[in-house]
Amino acid sequence: MSQRVALAAPVAVALALAAYPVVASGYEVRATLQIFMWIVLAGSWNLISGLTGYVSFGHVAFFGAGAYAGAILISKAGWPWLAAALVGGGAAVLLALVIGYPCLRLKGPYFAIAMLGLNEVLRALVSYFEGLTGGGNGLSLPTLDATVPIYYVMGLTAVAVTVLTYLIITSRFGLRLMTIREDEVAAEAMGIDTARHKLYAFLLSAAGPGIAGALTARDQGYIEPISVFPLATTITMIVMVLFGGKGTVWGPVLGAVVLFVAQEVVWARYPYVHPLLFGALIVAVVLLMPRGVLGILQVRYRLPRTI
Amino acid sequence: MATPVLDIDRLRKRFGGVTAVDGVSLRLEAGRIYGLIGPNGSGKTTLFNCITGVERRDEGRVVFGGERVDGLRPWEIAQKGIGRTFQVIRVFPELSALENLLVVTRDRLAAARERADRLLRFVKLDGLRDEYAGNLSYGQQKLLEFVRMLMRDPTLILLDEPAAGVNRTLLNDLLEAVRQLRDRGKTILLVEHDMKVVMGLCETVFVLDHGEKIAEGAPGVIQTDERVIEAYFGR
Repeated sequence: MSQRVALAAPVAVALALAAYPVVASGYEVRATLQIFMWIVLAGSWNLISGLTGYVSFGHVAFFGAGAYAGAILISKAGWPWLAAALVGGGAAVLLALVIGYPCLRLKGPYFAIAMLGLNEVLRALVSYFEGLTGGGNGLSLPTLDATVPIYYVMGLTAVAVTVLTYLIITSRFGLRLMTIREDEVAAEAMGIDTARHKLYAFLLSAAGPGIAGALTARDQGYIEPISVFPLATTITMIVMVLFGGKGTVWGPVLGAVVLFVAQEVVWARYPYVHPLLFGALIVAVVLLMPRGVLGILQVRYRLPRTI
Repeated sequence: MATPVLDIDRLRKRFGGVTAVDGVSLRLEAGRIYGLIGPNGSGKTTLFNCITGVERRDEGRVVFGGERVDGLRPWEIAQKGIGRTFQVIRVFPELSALENLLVVTRDRLAAARERADRLLRFVKLDGLRDEYAGNLSYGQQKLLEFVRMLMRDPTLILLDEPAAGVNRTLLNDLLEAVRQLRDRGKTILLVEHDMKVVMGLCETVFVLDHGEKIAEGAPGVIQTDERVIEAYFGR
């Protein structure tokens, strides 16, 4: 019974969201599209950081890499945006492969800082290679109103990230990722090839942000280094996961929805207090409920991680 | 003499200016229980870490089952059949007791589950299989760590202070389990400070002091060895 509800509820929500653009205003479609994007970003960060325990402070780098790869293909090579988005995801995975080898040897804060540095390096690189990226002037894409189809593709990407998280968490591969978070030395001593597992988790966590970056670039029609590599985006995805519950399936979704909606409401009414409230929320989450909403429920009511 | 299960040849490990293990050679044969004793800081745990690849040795060789394993990664060594427990318990706290065992093998899930259930029953933890490992008592975690190590069915078992912090009843169960493993042909090397345990269980004892092996022999012989007494009590 409860299993049927657990399956039926998300399907019903997905169907409602699929029909939503028919009745919604342009602003509402755009806002929901943004929520989808945050679900992709938070859900992806959860894979490497929430589940595997390697806290990435530069995850927006994959979003930016996907955005630039997609935007260049669309504007310079005339690719259709859907194909460009997929290649954007591929470019982010390739980047993760290149930097994963050296960076995943680092532990704890060193990994976090290395990722932060990577993001700054990428931002500097796209500014430098002006011929390809437009440098600090940014890159404009041909005009195209594709918000509704992008809404669907971003929605599907969000579903894919969430389903992937479910599949990982319910598998022994997922359990092995968790042993890395719990105690990497013990995991190795038990015969788990932690380096390979970390790399897989890292690659999987890069694909979604890469696709989301390319889709966002197409939807906005213009990107520049500071708009696609902001540290604030990484921090927001971290806070969303911490708020919702790291290492769970629905935590990133809950965090993305609640924080985005809250942000929109507060942002609209109190633009000056907004950063202050957001900062206070970060402190409150970390101090009062480090496990997040679903993490607390999970421990208290002995729920499975698949919540 | 039969081929040894583990053959350590002049192993040396330095940390900066300190030589933690200084040219130690050991040979372990199948189906026996060995003890490794020595004062604090004599290099016992470092030796364990060099065997299991957690630390990389500076000099010397470690041959396991006729194959060199020094220089391999810890997980490769574990997959070759060396299992270990830690001095400080290292279970996976936010995995259930059952999951702690399931993650270790790559066997088919049904087979892994059956083996895990049997091992949990063996240490009387089957009633707690779905409890988070972090919620178990100290002794229960110790037992869980012990059976987790058995999931891969290792040929050589390294136990780092199995008796520390364990009550008498639990300890007797644990020691009985070790004897059973020995009877099934496993080789066991244990570090232990509890001399009663060492003397009652081990067939051969190695004594380390300042990173050097100063004695080797049957427990009765070791107890009266001049150098051993000196290492423990001073001159």
